[in-house]
Amino acid sequence: YDGLGPGCHLFPFNVTIRSDRRGTCRGTHLVHACVGYCESSAFPSRYSVLVASNFTHNITSASRCCTISKDTKVKVRLDCPRGRHHDDIEILTAQACRCDMCRKSRY
Amino acid sequence: AAVTKLDTFRGCAVRDFSFVAQKPGCRGLRVATEACWGRCQTWEKLVPEPPYIQRHHQVCTYSRARYLTARLAACPPHVSPLYPYPLALQCACSLCSPRDTECETF
Repeated sequence: YDGLGPGCHLFPFNVTIRSDRRGTCRGTHLVHACVGYCESSAFPSRYSVLVASNFTHNITSASRCCTISKDTKVKVRLDCPRGRHHDDIEILTAQACRCDMCRKSRY
Repeated sequence: AAVTKLDTFRGCAVRDFSFVAQKPGCRGLRVATEACWGRCQTWEKLVPEPPYIQRHHQVCTYSRARYLTARLAACPPHVSPLYPYPLALQCACSLCSPRDTECETF
């Protein structure tokens, strides 16, 4: 990610799809994530925030994070052994990115 | 001296910050302290299996702080003149913790 500047950008990566757990049929496709550096800051909370949080939220974080603003489907062709056939599989990929609301991280 | 260009800065740094400490009925007081500002690396990607989206959303926030107290003038008798506020000793990219932080977008 070192070459990325401020902002939120499409970033290519390869995804591998398997037809089953053993990976009998599989295919790889180039898709996109959104990766970037969006602005955030943290500062002392206003009095109204202190009161509303019963004086627990002493800090206010005003932040944006890199998010996917538009996605699109792509078809991945699976290759199988011994000439067997498997239907293409549709997966989603990012099409546009934007610095927007930060959400709870999930892995 | 080293010069950092703010429009291309990546990372999370301590910065000067001033605000007006205000409580109902008291005279407002301008307070100079240190806070945090920066650009943290964040990302989102779609994956074929649940939860279908993976993300890494970190924000630039206090990693070490000292708490100071300002004393406001002219408060009514029933309002404490004390106004606690944080001074950032160190800032870092980390998850926004709703335990001690008001997490907002802008």
